[in-house]
Amino acid sequence: MEWNPDWGLRGRMVLTMFLLVVLYVVFIAALSQYMGLFGVVLIMGLFSLGQFFFSDRLALYSMGATRVDEGEYPTLHATVGRLCQQADLPKPDVAVADTRTPNAFAAGRSRSASTVCVTTGLLDTLDEAELEGVLAHELAHVKNRDVMVMTIASFLSTIAFMIVRWGWLFGGNRNRQGGGGIVVAILVSLVVWIVSFLLIRALSRYREYAADRGGAAITGNPTALASALRSISGRMDRVPQEDLREQSEMNAFFVIPIRSGFVGRVFSTHPPTEKRVERLREMAAEMERR
Amino acid sequence: MGLFDSLRSALGFGAEADATRAADPEDLFGMSTAYLTMEADLEFAPVAAAALCFSSVDSTDFAGAVDEVEEILRAGEEDTGTAFRRHEDDHGYHWVVLEDDDPEDLVTSIHFAADTFVERGYGSRILAAVFGFEHVREDRRAYWIYSFRRGAYYPFAPTGRHDRDTRLEFKLQSVLDGELDVEDDEGYWYPLWPDRPDGHPWE
Repeated sequence: MEWNPDWGLRGRMVLTMFLLVVLYVVFIAALSQYMGLFGVVLIMGLFSLGQFFFSDRLALYSMGATRVDEGEYPTLHATVGRLCQQADLPKPDVAVADTRTPNAFAAGRSRSASTVCVTTGLLDTLDEAELEGVLAHELAHVKNRDVMVMTIASFLSTIAFMIVRWGWLFGGNRNRQGGGGIVVAILVSLVVWIVSFLLIRALSRYREYAADRGGAAITGNPTALASALRSISGRMDRVPQEDLREQSEMNAFFVIPIRSGFVGRVFSTHPPTEKRVERLREMAAEMERR
Repeated sequence: MGLFDSLRSALGFGAEADATRAADPEDLFGMSTAYLTMEADLEFAPVAAAALCFSSVDSTDFAGAVDEVEEILRAGEEDTGTAFRRHEDDHGYHWVVLEDDDPEDLVTSIHFAADTFVERGYGSRILAAVFGFEHVREDRRAYWIYSFRRGAYYPFAPTGRHDRDTRLEFKLQSVLDGELDVEDDEGYWYPLWPDRPDGHPWE
């Protein structure tokens, strides 16, 4: 069974990645003109590596989630196992967070060291087919190596952000020869940071669409994921959210992001639910036509 | 993992491509001699049953493909005497259960069914073929599971509802390796728990 590839989506993903690379090359070239870049890159490199290796534990910790074994959640484990079998993926760890808000995310740096986490709210809200859809979406993130892609994409953006912040604090006070250079470096970093921020958000949204398609391909049932998305996002509006701390980095891997107040379309990591549902419906229709 | 594979996943389409990749029945036939070794070297006799597990697709065309598989197996029932029935398990997965005293007929029927799915374009929906074995003296069961995604076999020895006898599994692996194409990454040895503690995975 095969669906027509979404060339529009593929094209936009490639273009976004290309623009990011161009932006970063220009950034490095410009920065090395003005300051000793090596130290900053080294420190930030270590920081990113740490983030890369510990992001899963961090994510689980901040959600108050614990890994559960086969005996505690046999059905959940069985479902994840079979979906992995379909996706040709080694079985990840399974974690459950005791929260009423229905949500799910995947964490971990590689296919063999990853964790899929669901909230108890999700288990209560969704029926079996819908839950499968959501889990398959998360497994598609794992399969597509989204944590790694987004970490790499965000790496230099974080450096630019740090330069803007530290430069602002410490750079201005120094009245040395290189004063002018630092101001330019800060300005360059500022521009790089803003542009990369927008590009990364766009990339993140495309990867959601890709994970939706991947998830639907795994379950063979696009409408189940669509109805899951609808019932989750419907409930998200009603469930109180004070409990959930702002975790913007992690938000990228939630099936439905946690919104804080109003977030403009350009700034959000996830596409609007209606659009995702619409695309899944198109897949279902395509399947029925053949 | 090849460069193309990495690129595909970096671009975000690995999941979709792999989940829709057709079945690989290439090494399925290894079982037609392996059951002899199971009995001679390990004292595990075949249970005279095997099953094919597949996940459904929510479409009319897929239902048609399943009907076709049933027709072919029904025709085979008359030829080889391999009894067959359909079953849906607690997880919503579908099984084609085959019963025959001749293990070779079981392998052939499984292959026929799998082939039909592949021809109808649903090869990617077949999860596994399961061949059951029972110890001739002790009360132990073991299964060889053929993963159509990986194109390889792996052992599965459930004890109770969610415990498995890993020692026995490694023993099966070491004895049958070479005769069967055994999956060497244990991360892919997915359990297929029976719905009942004393049942087969397809019951």
